[in-house]
Amino acid sequence: MISKRFVIKRLLLLVPVLFGVATFVFAILHLAPGDPARVIAGQRASEEFVRQVRTELGLNDPIWVQYGRFLLEAVQLEFGNSYQIQKGTPVKQILRYKLPVTLEMALYGQFLGILFGIPVGLLGAIKQDAISDHVTRIGALAGISVPIYWSGPLLILLFAQVLGWFPASGRIASTFDINPITGVITFDTLVRGNFAAFESAAMHLFLPAAVIGIYSMALISRMMRSSMLEVIRQDYMRTARAKGQGSKITILKHGFRNALIPVVTVIGIQFGTLLGGAVLTETVFGIAGIGTLLVSAIQVGDYPVVQGTVLMFAGLFTLVNLLVDVTYSYLDPRIEQ
Amino acid sequence: MTSNDTSVSRRSLLKAAGGAAASASVAGYLETDTEEAQQQGGGTLTFARGNDSGTLDPQNTTSGEDVKVTNQIYDRLIEFRPGTSELIAGLATEWNLEGQQTTVTLREGVTFHNGDEFTADDFIATYRRFTDSNYEYYPGDDYVSSYGPFTLGNWVDSIEKNGDYEMTIQLQQRYAPFLRNLAMFASSVLSEQAIQERGTDLSTNPMGTGPFVFENWDQGNQRIRLSANDDYWGEGPNVDEVVFTAVGSNTTRAQTLVSGGADIIDGLGAQSAQIVEGAQQAELLETEGINIGYMAFNMARVEAFRDKRVRQAISYAINTEAIVNTIYRGIAVQASQPIPSNLFGYNEELDPYPHDPEQAQQLLNDAGYGDGFTFELATFQNPRAYNPSPIQAAQTVKSNLSEVGITVNINQQPFNPFLNYTSTGKHDACFLGWMTDNADPDNFYYALLHPGVSQDQVPQGQDWVSWDTEGFNTLDVAAWANTEFMDVTEQAQRTYNQQERADLYKQAAQIAHEEAPWVFIDHAKELRGVGNNVQNFVVAPIGGPFLKQVSLSN
Repeated sequence: MISKRFVIKRLLLLVPVLFGVATFVFAILHLAPGDPARVIAGQRASEEFVRQVRTELGLNDPIWVQYGRFLLEAVQLEFGNSYQIQKGTPVKQILRYKLPVTLEMALYGQFLGILFGIPVGLLGAIKQDAISDHVTRIGALAGISVPIYWSGPLLILLFAQVLGWFPASGRIASTFDINPITGVITFDTLVRGNFAAFESAAMHLFLPAAVIGIYSMALISRMMRSSMLEVIRQDYMRTARAKGQGSKITILKHGFRNALIPVVTVIGIQFGTLLGGAVLTETVFGIAGIGTLLVSAIQVGDYPVVQGTVLMFAGLFTLVNLLVDVTYSYLDPRIEQ
Repeated sequence: MTSNDTSVSRRSLLKAAGGAAASASVAGYLETDTEEAQQQGGGTLTFARGNDSGTLDPQNTTSGEDVKVTNQIYDRLIEFRPGTSELIAGLATEWNLEGQQTTVTLREGVTFHNGDEFTADDFIATYRRFTDSNYEYYPGDDYVSSYGPFTLGNWVDSIEKNGDYEMTIQLQQRYAPFLRNLAMFASSVLSEQAIQERGTDLSTNPMGTGPFVFENWDQGNQRIRLSANDDYWGEGPNVDEVVFTAVGSNTTRAQTLVSGGADIIDGLGAQSAQIVEGAQQAELLETEGINIGYMAFNMARVEAFRDKRVRQAISYAINTEAIVNTIYRGIAVQASQPIPSNLFGYNEELDPYPHDPEQAQQLLNDAGYGDGFTFELATFQNPRAYNPSPIQAAQTVKSNLSEVGITVNINQQPFNPFLNYTSTGKHDACFLGWMTDNADPDNFYYALLHPGVSQDQVPQGQDWVSWDTEGFNTLDVAAWANTEFMDVTEQAQRTYNQQERADLYKQAAQIAHEEAPWVFIDHAKELRGVGNNVQNFVVAPIGGPFLKQVSLSN
């Protein structure tokens, strides 16, 4: 089973990883041309005014002083206040608002992907080379190949503009005024017992989750199929069959768990990509998550927001990977040694 | 004429036709909204834009996105008449600008959203918080925006109150655009009590005298909710609630409007405008914007640009008509001078430089540059209202100029480093543009083409100055310093008679056109998508959006 030592060792590894990421982000930001003080001051400001702002922000200090200050704050999980995106608001607070938005969307998308991807992959493996197998394989290939910035607008065009079944953007109709508890809107509306609002939130979430889901389903089903095919040909499966366990369902019982290992890897890596790919989905569907936050922060040179967001991404990604490893050792106890 | 006329005619056309098909589809689309509206009376008006606000404090921002919201919550002493650049009474009922003094009579019986009465003390506190670093409640240099000095600080000497409802504002010099500065968003009137009690919290918890009261800001959903101010002193509001939402992609925003998820949208490009135009559930309103897009020659840096004939030659060589019609796809009009035709002082006698490569070549030959030369054109990468496709436009310039032997190297940057680059004079030539602050020609001529130095600082026989000249205005990215032009614009700034001022600006336009420190490219239109259920919405080139007069039909 999972040893504490294993988890602790992995958690300790987080430290150098995050330190590396922090240094890298800091360096990139400060090497890039542009002056956040100019952005804050705006096109109309005089040079003198810009200088004043720069001093106030501590941007005139030597670079190593700024770096030290940044590390010292980051260790305490403080990332300073936003320069521009949400002026003066602590970055921690901004992330607190934005993270649930992205996570909710990514989780629902991933959920749809797993829900459909695994059965489709299994079906393909069991009925290899049947018509259904070809159809799902071609479908999966299409799912992987079609970029979100193309499939997203297409879905909006069809389901929102032409058919009017789903809303085109946002997370909930503007008539609903939901005071956030967790920020996960489908959860908050349910807790508050506002079912009309929940329905609106679910309808809003459907298209973006579907876009993410299609992509993730395609990847998962392909991996599931090939991994299952491999397992089916293993000796122990043949033995099971030789013992008379002919039913495919029984074989799945033995084979499925083993075949899952590479699929779990894909799901884990996929989740990281989902967070990154959220930029596109969020932009297309007008959803205010981490992705769009990061892009606009980079555009205006909002250093504290960029630093905080990237570090959080790095942390999340490492944690998900840890989770994947832990799941491995559950699926196959040999992995830990 | 204006788009409003077209929109009315389209609406009445629909009515007249009684088009069964059209009304059926509209009814289907309105169904849910109607239910809401019946429950709530005036209904919820949803305004979708490209970005969420960064702050709700008008003294804390230079961003037009933020202003859309603060303009609903706050009033100004003087306001713009919706859809025009004309001034009308706001919190001031009368004003008089004479010499270096403005007297203002304030409206009585106006209350802030907390019930406190508005008096002269509130305006004085507002002014001091914005410009006076010795004021006890001054929020700090990194908090107040550069509009502090730009709008009030550079011009106002002192403000005295005579009783609660009268003030005398002493100016540092004669300054004709001053009343317009009072109508700018940055001059929004804050409550003295809120200044004292809320400090910088006003950036998330605003309180003014405006038609709408701040309710909440749901940052996870980029949504700002305002409710109707039932005690509003003026006309309106006619809806119960206004919700500002943000949808980053222009196309998705247009689709949101068409599918009923928003009532009014802005920030449309050519493609998204087409979606709105083609939809039955919404219409596209437009009006000429008060802005300019141009290419500036940095005369301090490139010797060839110091010859007027070279600048004119380039103006002839660049096909601005093609840029405006093909690249900007008709969401802008060609420019012949720094200001658009809807501002006073517009010179009707000037036409845009025609595309004439032969004339250009001739001028270059005369100037001794017949074999051409090379320069770098700096441009920002992302669309701006006055330049929706900067890279493509830059490529057109490059190919146009290659026809007359001039080699252009394009240097493209994100807007932030780009501004830094141009404001320190590192460009040979650059694309840039301007959206007006106060709808005064001075805000173009003096702000962008006057070097900010005195005439005797300009070396004899030279019509440019170097970037390190003491007091140089870095917005003059051409480094142009034509003393005749400077003289005219300085005079216009001090002239209070409107007709005389207009004549001076016509003269300034003539000089700018002839001397060509810029290639005048375009004035972008203001486009809005408006749902059929929205009534009384006017596209405003300055101020607004004016939502207090809008109502929603069932």
